[in-house]
Order: sequence, then structure tokens, then C-alpha cells
Amino acid sequence: MALRLDYSHDNETHRNYLNGQPVVMHSHHYLALLTKLVEDQDGINAAEILRDSVEDTMRAVFEDYIEKNGITSAQDRCNVGREYYSAFGLGKMIITGDENGGEVRLVRSHLDEGWVKKWGVHSKPINHFTCGYVAAMFAAAFKKPSKSYVVTEAASIAVGDSEGKFIVKAS
Amino acid sequence: MTVMRDTVVKSLAKITVQADENGLIPEYEVLVNLLPVSLLNTFTERLLTAAPPEKKTEIEAGFVRAAYECGYHTGCGIITSEIFSEVVLPMVTEGEKDILRGAYAAFTAWGWAKSGIVQLKDGEKMIIRAFDYYDSESGSGGMSGFMLRGLSQAFFDLAYAEPYPDGMDTYVCVQTKGLEVGDPYGEFLVTKK
Repeated sequence: MALRLDYSHDNETHRNYLNGQPVVMHSHHYLALLTKLVEDQDGINAAEILRDSVEDTMRAVFEDYIEKNGITSAQDRCNVGREYYSAFGLGKMIITGDENGGEVRLVRSHLDEGWVKKWGVHSKPINHFTCGYVAAMFAAAFKKPSKSYVVTEAASIAVGDSEGKFIVKAS
Repeated sequence: MTVMRDTVVKSLAKITVQADENGLIPEYEVLVNLLPVSLLNTFTERLLTAAPPEKKTEIEAGFVRAAYECGYHTGCGIITSEIFSEVVLPMVTEGEKDILRGAYAAFTAWGWAKSGIVQLKDGEKMIIRAFDYYDSESGSGGMSGFMLRGLSQAFFDLAYAEPYPDGMDTYVCVQTKGLEVGDPYGEFLVTKK
């Protein structure tokens, strides 16, 4: 399955769309600084807020595409998320697993590589964004409700590992 | 001739950024991403809602800072890019003023904000009006045009402060009106810090 990419522009509002979803362009500086904003917060569980925001909104994007294109198999449903990840410019994933969980290797990463470009190697993993994204991807693949998967970042390009690794477990 | 906004908007709106085989979008000397507006607005709303009152200003400043640094570094890449040279530079007759006019046409074309300059005093002050900007829909309460605040400050720094990368934080931008608080447009004022 190859994700269809239909880019459009509204000539009145000048908003941009990908497959009917409003999208906007930013750089690695933006996503790195949003992540740092999360990292810097004490007393608010900002990392969880970011993960949940990503899981909920990306799930809606995946389900919209899945429904409009009549995609049924778990593998194809999972591939929607994987291919969107690259279409959004976020990097490249390799996914293994089943409905009980699995593993996602992040061989290229906009956020991690952007973080290193901006500030150098960090002392701990920072990719809360992709944790939420992977949770949405597995839940969409196996038709599970939100928060059905716990995702842990086990390796990280931002800390100097050669690739990122996300462990996925059904909760 | 000066910058013809509609011509620039039409030309730049045709440009689509697409990822390479690694799922990355290297453009304008940065890595670009193309994210759903719903994600950015949901995160903004939830983080500001969760923040205690004494932390809201700091978090809002964090959103502006993210937009500012994105705008300052990407902005330099944009105004020195091949496409900007091709589309905007041939119309530039008034130096920095026209570069800024071109920049706001680019902001409009690329969906950041349907916006333009309504007042500009070289190196001193600029007023921007925006009739559509995506973060007006974040539902975070109060004025939330953080993206355009950061971008406006960044581009005024690029135009009038020390040359890149030494001119950061010379100017500051505040939002004075907002669609999100019931005004007919968003308004943004840039002045010296």
C-alpha cells in the first residue's frame, strides 16, 4: 500500500491541506523548542500532555484516511501511520509487532536530528512526540481505543544512539 | 515597482514541500515538517489549560520563542532561497521594506497567516494585520497568535538588526488584537526591545 498524498491550497484563506487535513509547515527549530518547553516544565505533566495530544490528533488523521480508502488489514492500517510519518517530514520508521505490542526502529528522525543540530547530544531521550505517534499507530492498526498502548523510548538518536527504538506494550 | 503581493502569493502557493526517501524535508537550510494544525492547536490548548496561572505567561513566551527561532533561522533560508530570489527579489525597489512585504506574502502563501503590513517605519516599528491565522483556533483563552508574534519579531530582526546570525532579540512583538477574542482581525506591533 502506498499512501496517496493529495496536497491542496485554499485560495481564500490560504491554508494548506494534505488529504483534506489542514497542515502547516515549520522547521526542526520549532519542534525542538516545543519539546524543550515540555522538558522545562515542573509541576505539569507536560510530556504526557504532548504524547496524548499527538496520539489523539494523529489517530483522527489516520482514521479519516483509513475510512475514506476502505483499508481493512492491520498491516495496511499500520502502514498509513508509518507512511504519514515520512510524509510529515518526521523521519523513517521500521515497525514489527502484533496487537500485543512490538518495536519501532526510528532510522531517521526530524526531531532527534534537529535537536542534535540545535543543541548537540542530550543526556536523555526526548522524543515524547513519537511515543504518542506510535501509540496512535498501533491503536489504529488493531482498532483499539485511545491509550491502549504504552510506548517507551529505549534508544534515541538525540542521546547519540545510531537509531531510535520504541518499545510498545498493550496496556 | 514594489512587491506585488498577489503575484507573490500566487507563485509561492504553488510550491509543495515533499519528503525525501528518508522521510525528511531538508529545505531553506533547516529540516522542515508539515504537521496537522489540529495537533498544534490541541497541544497549545491542553498545555495552557493545565498550567497554573503563574506559569501561563512563561508557557506563552515558550510558544512565541519556538516560532521566533523557527522564523529567524528558516527566514534567513527563505529570503536567500532560489525561489525567493526568483519570485520576490526582481520586484524589490525599496530595500528592507520590500523584503518584508515579500516575507508576509510568503507567510500568507504558506498558510501561516493571511497577513500583511499596514504600517512600517524603517528600523523602528511595524504593524501587521492578519485576517486568518491557524493558532487563533487553539481555544487556549486570551490572545493566542503566538506564531505570528514570533515570525514578525524574527523577520524584523532579519531586516533591520545586525546581520544574521547576530541580530537576534533586537525587536519584540506584542499582539494587540485577535480574532480569537472577537476582534475583526489580529493585530501585531513590532518595536525595539
